[in-house]
Amino acid sequence: MSSAHAAHAAPAPASLADRRVVAICGAPNVGKSTFFNRLTGLRQKVANYPGITVEKRIGSIELPDGQAVDLIDLPGIVGLHPRSEDERISMDVLRGTSKTLPKPSAAILLLDSTTLEAQLRLVPEILGFGVPTLVVLNMADDLAARGGSVDEAVIEKQVGAPVALVSARLGTGMERVRDFLQGTLSPPPPVQLPVLNNIPAERQWAGTVAREASYHPPEPSLWGRRLDTIFLHPVGGPLFFLAVVVAVFQSIFTLAVPMMDTVEALIATSGGWLGAVLPDSILKGLLLDGIWGGVGSVVIFLPQILILFLFVGILEDSGYLARAAAIADRSMRSVGLEGRSFIPLLSAYACAVPAIMAARTVENQRDRLATIFIAPLTTCSARLPVYALLIAAFIPERPILGPFLGTRATVLLGLYAVGFLAACLTAFALKSTVLKSKPMPFMLPLPAYRLPTLRSLSYRLLDRSKIFLRRAGTVIMVATIVLWFLASVPYSNGSPPDIGDSLAGSIGKTIEPLVEPLGLNWKVAIGLITSLAAREVIVGTLGTIYGMETDEDSPALQDALRKDLSFGSAIALLLYFAFAMQCMSTVAIVRRETGGWRWPIAQFAYMLILAYVSGLAAYRIFG
Amino acid sequence: METLTDLAPGKTAVVTELRFGDADAVRLMEFGFVPGVSVSCQRRVPMGDLSVYQLDGFQITLRRETASRIVVRMRAEAEGSDHV
Ligand SMILES: Nc1nc2c(ncn2[C@@H]2O[C@H](COP(=O)(O)OP(=O)(O)O)[C@@H](O)[C@H]2O)c(=O)[nH]1
Ligand SMILES: [Mg+2]
Repeated sequence: MSSAHAAHAAPAPASLADRRVVAICGAPNVGKSTFFNRLTGLRQKVANYPGITVEKRIGSIELPDGQAVDLIDLPGIVGLHPRSEDERISMDVLRGTSKTLPKPSAAILLLDSTTLEAQLRLVPEILGFGVPTLVVLNMADDLAARGGSVDEAVIEKQVGAPVALVSARLGTGMERVRDFLQGTLSPPPPVQLPVLNNIPAERQWAGTVAREASYHPPEPSLWGRRLDTIFLHPVGGPLFFLAVVVAVFQSIFTLAVPMMDTVEALIATSGGWLGAVLPDSILKGLLLDGIWGGVGSVVIFLPQILILFLFVGILEDSGYLARAAAIADRSMRSVGLEGRSFIPLLSAYACAVPAIMAARTVENQRDRLATIFIAPLTTCSARLPVYALLIAAFIPERPILGPFLGTRATVLLGLYAVGFLAACLTAFALKSTVLKSKPMPFMLPLPAYRLPTLRSLSYRLLDRSKIFLRRAGTVIMVATIVLWFLASVPYSNGSPPDIGDSLAGSIGKTIEPLVEPLGLNWKVAIGLITSLAAREVIVGTLGTIYGMETDEDSPALQDALRKDLSFGSAIALLLYFAFAMQCMSTVAIVRRETGGWRWPIAQFAYMLILAYVSGLAAYRIFG
Repeated sequence: METLTDLAPGKTAVVTELRFGDADAVRLMEFGFVPGVSVSCQRRVPMGDLSVYQLDGFQITLRRETASRIVVRMRAEAEGSDHV
């Protein structure tokens, strides 16, 4: 019955073509990623599913007998009726209809043993895919700690599939998992399972299985209740939310600075070495001014991005984020959006592209369009390097609330708030005019509070670093190299031109009149064009331009900017970046998701006008 | 006819009917609101009209509008806690 057995009987050669793929699936928050990390350790990679930017995590392990197995950490599912793109991917992989992955040769279904009655329903649904499946009852430690218990041997007989009781967090019970992967676990005889697509019958069956296995649910966690009393308190809740947000933004500046200095010093030193070692040539210029100067000035912002995601990771893993969403629900409602729009918008802090994909969760077509339309106004992480550079250059750090809140964090907070506000007002305008519609049911599960583990936080940061550095090494590097060439031609008398006379310079000067009303010059104008590829490219572009201009060791970009721009024009530039849709991937994804050019063009124009007008106003006011 | 909105914090009821279209009803059931399941109201969330419910050992919040379409039968405290 089990193809795991077949594989064991005839061990496949460890060539890449016929690697075995094992899918890890289950509801959200049952510990799939923790389990995946536990099994694969550092041998994992994050990739994007082609065409769509839902992150896919694959890790490979080698079994004691030499077989290699690829594990996939699938997005959470609540049943066989996917609503979001995430859920659809999980379904595609399990069905074997995914374009990129073969049908898995085995599956591991994770259930949260602390809410077993609610979770068992997934067993017949997943077994229905006809793949050998191990049912893992996770969170064994939590179940035991709160006085619950279950007889997993009975569950195994009742569901007709091998079962393991494990704690992914502590690593207990994992031997059985390894046995399963190796194909040495003999499955119990199959049993008659409830027919699918009848959820009440499935739930009834789950109740019976739990009863047979003498399942004792754990006592509700007392301190969880107490935390809810605080976090969902009429006054305390919103105040705490605000305090959390302030703390995050303050630390983006205070905590990150020493780390950024280190990274900057590393880049400068290595650039210096390279400069000393390499013979003078065109290539040297490309390497030093183009790549070291351009890409380097973006890479410096890695610590700040990591700090943001460290906090987000803590909030998410601890279970607080769902409470924050509950508190925020009222504001969502007042702009006419349904609750489900909240989650896509929340994920737009990282990147608008997956957020726009995630808007597929929103069934109501009109709400979905509104969500797609406003997602790029939410402050994505690509804006952070731009904000951080300009703020550090133009806003002197002064305490506002003692050590807790300084001027820089306040300005950054303000920019996030401005983006959020613009998103809300836009949604309101759309929802009360062209996209009016009826409300849909709203459900928001509140996961149990858990102490985030160092392990899972470090994996998150590792993932983020890889994604950020890959971007720096591809999109940003290519944009920087192209710019460097444009800035190095035409040669006159055998030497490169002044940057102002170069091709890049003349392009910048041609469009300078357009940005002059915002107090910006032709150098920034070049950046505004290159950053259409990706927002943070402007940082690299300015790094390259100012680096080439001075010839000598590039001065801190911040100093150069301060000399070249006024305070008012810096504010104008910040607001321009807050509002403008400087991101071709977003345009492309909106076109694909809305099935035409109408929406992306409308959105691009709207955001450009918003950006230009507010930049104009800022320059008029601040001078 | 009573619905989840009539359930006071600390009280328990059994789901009897979902007054939604098919697709929405399936979604609600996938999230645990299956006819026959016991649901207790944990608390009302301030600012707005969310309430926190507990069923099958986990917590979920619903808007009033959604809760008002989940028909329930109230339970006396003494009825015990086993479900379905
Ligand atoms: N107590 C306990 N917590 C766990 C266990 N496995 C995962 N967690 C925690 O549950 C939360 C969700 O885990 P995660 O792996 O992100 O779940 P996913 O959404 O299924 O990928 C995290 O805070 C984990 O630390 C476990 O076996 N025991
Ligand atoms: Mg996960």
